[in-house]
Amino acid sequence: MAAQEVFASQLDRDFLPGERSAMPSKVLEVENLGVILEGEQVLSDISFSIEAASITAIVGPNGSGKTTLLRALLGLLPCQGRISWTPGISMGYVPQRFAVPPSLPLTVTEFFLLKSGRLWRPDLAFIKHLPHELELMGLPLSVLDRPLGSLSSGQLQRLMVSWAMVTHPAVLIFDEPTAAVDVGFSDTIYQIMHRLIHERGTTILLVSHDLNVVWTHASQVLCINRSLVCQGPPQEVLTPEALRQLFGEVGWYHHPHGHHHLGEGSPGEER
Amino acid sequence: MASLPIAQLCIAAVIGAASGAIGSFILLRKMALVGDAVSHVALPGIAVALAYRVDPFWGVITVLLAAAAIIWWLEARSRLPVDALVGLLFTASLAIGILTIPDTEILESLFGAFPALSPLAFGATVGAASLSLLLTFWLARPFLFAIVSEDLARIGKVGRGYELLLLVIFSVVVALGIKLVGTLLMGALTIIPAAIARNLSAGMRQYMITAAVLGATISIAGVAAASIWSIRPGPVVILLGVGVFALSLPAVGLKRPAG
Repeated sequence: MAAQEVFASQLDRDFLPGERSAMPSKVLEVENLGVILEGEQVLSDISFSIEAASITAIVGPNGSGKTTLLRALLGLLPCQGRISWTPGISMGYVPQRFAVPPSLPLTVTEFFLLKSGRLWRPDLAFIKHLPHELELMGLPLSVLDRPLGSLSSGQLQRLMVSWAMVTHPAVLIFDEPTAAVDVGFSDTIYQIMHRLIHERGTTILLVSHDLNVVWTHASQVLCINRSLVCQGPPQEVLTPEALRQLFGEVGWYHHPHGHHHLGEGSPGEER
Repeated sequence: MASLPIAQLCIAAVIGAASGAIGSFILLRKMALVGDAVSHVALPGIAVALAYRVDPFWGVITVLLAAAAIIWWLEARSRLPVDALVGLLFTASLAIGILTIPDTEILESLFGAFPALSPLAFGATVGAASLSLLLTFWLARPFLFAIVSEDLARIGKVGRGYELLLLVIFSVVVALGIKLVGTLLMGALTIIPAAIARNLSAGMRQYMITAAVLGATISIAGVAAASIWSIRPGPVVILLGVGVFALSLPAVGLKRPAG
C-alpha cells in the first residue's frame, strides 16, 4: 500500500519542496500577532513563517493559546499584527471539537455537499470521489447515508479529517487530529500527511500534545505559551530544558531514541 | 356545503410551503421561540398601519424587518442571552399592540382572517410567498452550513450576511402569513411543519421538502375545513399541525439509530 511506503519515508524529514520550485516559498508570514479575548491578552508578540510543503507543529500547555492561534490564522478572530497568507490560498480545517446534535437531519453525504457548493443537483464527479476519501480514513461506505449526528466520536473525527481534505486544499490545519481516535488511525493520519506533502505539496499546520509525533513528523515546531517561547526544528528546539520551561517541572518527557514518553497528562480542554 | 374558496386555498398553499421551508432553518437554529416572539412584533405595526389607513401588511413588514436586524445584531454579540432579551422586547410589543389596536380589529389581528383581496394584492401575496420559497431552497446550502458550524462556514466563504438574509425571508413569510393565521399563531405555522419533518427525515433535502409539503398541506386542509364549517382558519391550521406532529412521534424511535 502506498501509505506504507510513505510511512517508511517519514525519516526523510529534510524533504524540501525544492523539487517543485527552486526556492522554498513562504505560504504564511506572521508578524507581531496578538489576540485579545474578552479584554484579556491571550496571545502577544508572535512572529513566524511557514514554508510550502512542510509540517509545522504547535505545542504548549493547556490554556496556552494554541487553538486561539489557529483560529486567528484562519481569520476567525479579530487580532493585532499582520497575518499574510499567499493570496487566494485554499484551506482545510479540522477543529478540536466538533459536535452535532443527534437530531440534526443531515446525512454524511450532504455534509460533504456543503463543501461542493451544490446541494440540490450534486456534482456527480464529487459524489463518486467520496468512497475513496472515506476508505482512506478507514470509514465504511455505509456512513454516507447515515445522519451525521449518529456517528461515534472516533468516526466523526476521521470524517472531519476526510471532510477537510476532500477539496484538496493547499493548506491543512489540524487542531489535535488524533485526540479521539485509536493508535492505528493516528499512524494513518500521519502517513497521509506525508503523502499529501509529497504528492500535492500540501502545507500542514497542527496542534499536537504528542511530542513523539512532533519529533517524528514536524519540520518546524512553535512552542506557545501566550507568546512564542521557542521555534525551529524539533531536534534543536525540544530540549529537556526547553520542555521544562514550557510545560513546568512535571509533565512531558521525551526520549528521542526509545520513542516513548512518560508522565503524559490527558490532552484536556483547550480554550 | 359552500364551494371552496380557490383564491384562499392558493394563498394557503404557497404561504404554508414558504413557512415550512424557512421554518426548517429557524427550528435548526434553535430560534423557535425567537420566531414566535418576532411574529408578535407585528401587532404594533398593524396598529400604526390602521391609524394611517394603509394596508396592515406594510406596517407589519416594516417592524418585522427592523426586528430581524435587531436579532441579527444581537446574535453577533454572543455574550448576551439573546432569547431572553428578544422575548422581553417582543412580548412588550405584543402588549403595546393590544393596547393600541382598535377592539374591532384585535381578534382579526391576533388570529387571522381572510380579507377580500384585489387581484393585484392576490398576485403580490402569491408572488412574494413563492419567491420566499424559492430563495429558501436556493440558499439552503449557505443557510445550513452556518447552522452546522459557524467557523467552518466562515472558512468556506459563507459570511454572516446569509444569516441576515435568512431572517429577512423569515420576516417576509411571517408578514404574509399573518393574514392567514394571525400574529399569535404565525410562529407556530413556521415551526410545526419543520418539527414534524424532523421526526421523519434522516437528511436535509428530505427534511426541507417534507416541511414545505406539510406546511402547504396543513394550511390547505385548515382553510378548507374552516370554510366548510365557517370557523376561523388560523386555529384550525395550527391544531391540524399539532395533530400530525403527534402522529409523527412514533417514527422518531425508528428513524434514529443510537449513537
